Amino acid sequence: MNQALLTWIAIVGVSLTTIATRGSFVVFGSRLQLHPQIEKALRFAPAAALGALVLPALLLRHGHVDFSLANQRLIAAFIAALIMWRFKSMIWTIVVGMGIATLMRLMS
Amino acid sequence: MSDAILWRGEAARAAFRAGYLDIAPAIPATLAWGLVTGIAMAQSGLTLPQAYGLGLLAFAGSAQLAVLPLLASHAPTFVIVLTALIVNMRFVIYSAAMKSEFVRLSFRQRLGIAYLIGDFPFVLFERSASQHERRLRPVYFLGIGLSNLIVWQLASLVGLVAAGRVPPEWGLDFAGMVALVALLVPMLANRPGFAACAIGGAVGVALDGLPAHAGLVIATLAGIIAAVVAERLPPRVA
Repeated sequence: MNQALLTWIAIVGVSLTTIATRGSFVVFGSRLQLHPQIEKALRFAPAAALGALVLPALLLRHGHVDFSLANQRLIAAFIAALIMWRFKSMIWTIVVGMGIATLMRLMS
Repeated sequence: MSDAILWRGEAARAAFRAGYLDIAPAIPATLAWGLVTGIAMAQSGLTLPQAYGLGLLAFAGSAQLAVLPLLASHAPTFVIVLTALIVNMRFVIYSAAMKSEFVRLSFRQRLGIAYLIGDFPFVLFERSASQHERRLRPVYFLGIGLSNLIVWQLASLVGLVAAGRVPPEWGLDFAGMVALVALLVPMLANRPGFAACAIGGAVGVALDGLPAHAGLVIATLAGIIAAVVAERLPPRVA
């Protein structure tokens, strides 16, 4: 088989995983009755997923937890989190977070 | 009052508008993330139709970024697909959490809704859906999801075409991270939310070495369990 065709097969396969996972319950399992306890527990899925996405990306540098000042993204994200906590504005949080990350990069 | 889903009419328009207004503050981050994904795809050795086909069909930034090096090195197809599946596995949890809102929709409508389920749309919908009448929630989700889709697709197209003109040291991918932090902060105000984030994050850090972000799913489940436990603990004595 030629490489272009193989690549397209892989692309279609990757795309099928998107619809298979996102559609798992919404499309294919919508008649499944989840246990009420599980439905209740899933209310916490956003906080859990966000923690699992964000904390490793911010804390780890070169495979190790880095709490030092050299971890510029952690510092920028922490200040951004304080902005969000105090002012509840996502747009200002992004502006300040990116601004601080850029400033620290230019100064170091 | 009928409980049929509303797609048309003044109330539906208002719910749709509420959806895109809710995701509007995240647009700069979605733009930056789409741009980064587009640039990465352009530099991966995929042809333009292949790269755009992947972006349009898969519409999953983190899975796309994970499989690009594998596609570039002509890894076996099953390895590529398996990697994408593992990275996308968190969407099973999102799908389970959202399914009750879309149960009355037709198969094709549910397929369209499922395509739009990403990190931002999921979190925003879960945050604010309860402020809308049940029969307006699907159209509210469409307002969120379609805005997110359009912004992300346009940005990744721009990234594909403009690759090489955006210096990587701008750190545009960080914008997406900061936006996720902004979504996370309000969830930390109660004990279960804080526990979910702390334990999910800690397990995520511990399992970061696993291939294809497999730790993400385990970490998310651990966070959910921690939240349930935290909710059952007796309240602190003042």
